[in-house]
Amino acid sequence: MAGRVIVITSGKGGVGKTTTSANIGTALAKNGHKVVLVDTDIGLRNLDLLLGLENRIVYTLVDVVEERCKLKQALVKDKKNPNLCLLAAAQTRDKSSVSAEQLKKITEKLKKDYDYILVDCPAGIEQGFQTAIAGASEAIVVTTPEMSAVRDADRIIGLLEAADGIESYKLLINRVRPSMIKSNDMMSVDDVVNILSCQPIGVIPEDTGIITSTNRGEPIVNNEKSLAGKAYINVARRINGEDVPFLDIDEPKNLVGKLKKFLCGLKKQGKE
Amino acid sequence: MEQYNDNVYVIDLGEINTAPEIIFELSSILDKDEARNKRICLKLGNVDLNQAQILSIKSLISGIDSILSSIDTKSIETEKVALSLGIIISNISAENSHEVAPTMPYKTAEELKEEILSQENKQPTKEEDYNIVEEVEEIEESENNIEEQSLEDNKENTTEDIKESEQKEQLEPQKEDVEKQNNEDIKKEEKEEVFDELDVIFGSSPAKNTFFDMESEQSRYEEKEELSDIIVPEQEYTKEDIELESFPTKYIKQTIRSGQVINYEGNIVIIGDCHPGCEITAFGDITVWGILSGIAHAGAGGNQKARVRALKMNAIQLRIANCYSRRPDSLNTVYIEKTNSFTPEEARIINGEIVVFKIND
Repeated sequence: MAGRVIVITSGKGGVGKTTTSANIGTALAKNGHKVVLVDTDIGLRNLDLLLGLENRIVYTLVDVVEERCKLKQALVKDKKNPNLCLLAAAQTRDKSSVSAEQLKKITEKLKKDYDYILVDCPAGIEQGFQTAIAGASEAIVVTTPEMSAVRDADRIIGLLEAADGIESYKLLINRVRPSMIKSNDMMSVDDVVNILSCQPIGVIPEDTGIITSTNRGEPIVNNEKSLAGKAYINVARRINGEDVPFLDIDEPKNLVGKLKKFLCGLKKQGKE
Repeated sequence: MEQYNDNVYVIDLGEINTAPEIIFELSSILDKDEARNKRICLKLGNVDLNQAQILSIKSLISGIDSILSSIDTKSIETEKVALSLGIIISNISAENSHEVAPTMPYKTAEELKEEILSQENKQPTKEEDYNIVEEVEEIEESENNIEEQSLEDNKENTTEDIKESEQKEQLEPQKEDVEKQNNEDIKKEEKEEVFDELDVIFGSSPAKNTFFDMESEQSRYEEKEELSDIIVPEQEYTKEDIELESFPTKYIKQTIRSGQVINYEGNIVIIGDCHPGCEITAFGDITVWGILSGIAHAGAGGNQKARVRALKMNAIQLRIANCYSRRPDSLNTVYIEKTNSFTPEEARIINGEIVVFKIND
């Protein structure tokens, strides 16, 4: 079994890298794939909190690197889904504890046993970022429809193109508010796509449920009613190679046409 | 026959030797609620099962929303069939050894009590043990509620008696001390008896008499000086006790925040809160004068008698010597309110498990 290593990155902090990692990972595992989530945000780990596994962590990524434990011992199984594992980051160390080569070794090992290895990247473009992308062959760039986030995403895409291992990258636009797009207060999805000239893999609407789910330690994909949860499930299916139409995220009816247009445009682009 | 391992549910049918019996036994076990939504590890003996039989077992398990995750079997035939159906063959004991995550949530004193009682209830053949536990309960009651109480009256005592004794107290405050002294003597005898009997329950566990120290502390921690003589009679001092006392102590007056690590080869006293994400490791005891929410490891050198104390125990993980426990998932509190009144708590090893005791007034 040769798993796919996908790094989830953004450049800017707070756009939802960790939330995206947790939800896509959970959604993939729900579909029966074996998934391992690797948190590389050493010193500022949050992925364990989002999954509600904080109290189960004994060994971390740093312990594996420093050979205090076996890789298998450091993998924390999810409470609900046995297909999902977490390799947590150490909270008491910093980014210099793990080098790019060391992470690459670990992802190579994980590839043998798992279908998907999702690497949650820290914010910034320094060593932590370089380490996180080292083992990955694919990338998902998370951004929000804000100028600052889009600029940072542009910078990140540039770095990903320059990096050796990354074969493909996709864009995930997070925290989209259709009502604000309608009143021209927010960049629309196709604006962002045009600026970055990068294929989107998903559009996630803003959802207050994300905050509650983070606090509860339960990914939002487990909540079937949530729109953001559905959007994440669709992203997971697209990652798996399925052809899933983009979710209709807007409440006002006027925008439906716009989004349909955008979708048609995407299909045309794909055909070309 | 069954044991828990977090969301893994192990069903041991190793002693059953025919296929129909296995299916019959399994269906009765699967009727229980605790088997639902679990990954089931099936332990089978030397029985040859064919494809249809394993498939019917599988459908039984999926009928209650569980997954048949692995089979442990002595029969090569069964192994072959299971493998052809895509079921993992595992040696359960080997699989468990990989599970490092602490699977035991830490218990409260009440849970421990209940557990002991229920265990004893299940096995009424051990009458001797059962009596002891009853006695234990009585003693606890007497110590928790009532200062003046004689040994003989234990059973008949009701709240009315307490009121009476309280009235007496008000009327004759001078006699109080004398009476207390008498009671102490009685209790001392009582305790020593129980200690001997405790060995029966707990075996030669290193934590054998700690259970009662706390109970007496609970009721009268204001009388510590007197109590200290009673709690641990001198002959009961072990090497570990002396070791603990001879440790140096480090005082830290600050809030310990996420990512901060404190290691000390002795006792640690922290005046302040310990936030989630911090790690405190001590060879001796850890005492937190505040809210403990991080990871605390007392007795890191292997001292089983080390303890963790805090005004509010909310630790993500507690580790004492070589015992690990994690915070129960039901205690998923985002934020602990800071109040003026806390109920201090203490964690220690009882019978190989970490138990958290509340110090009630």
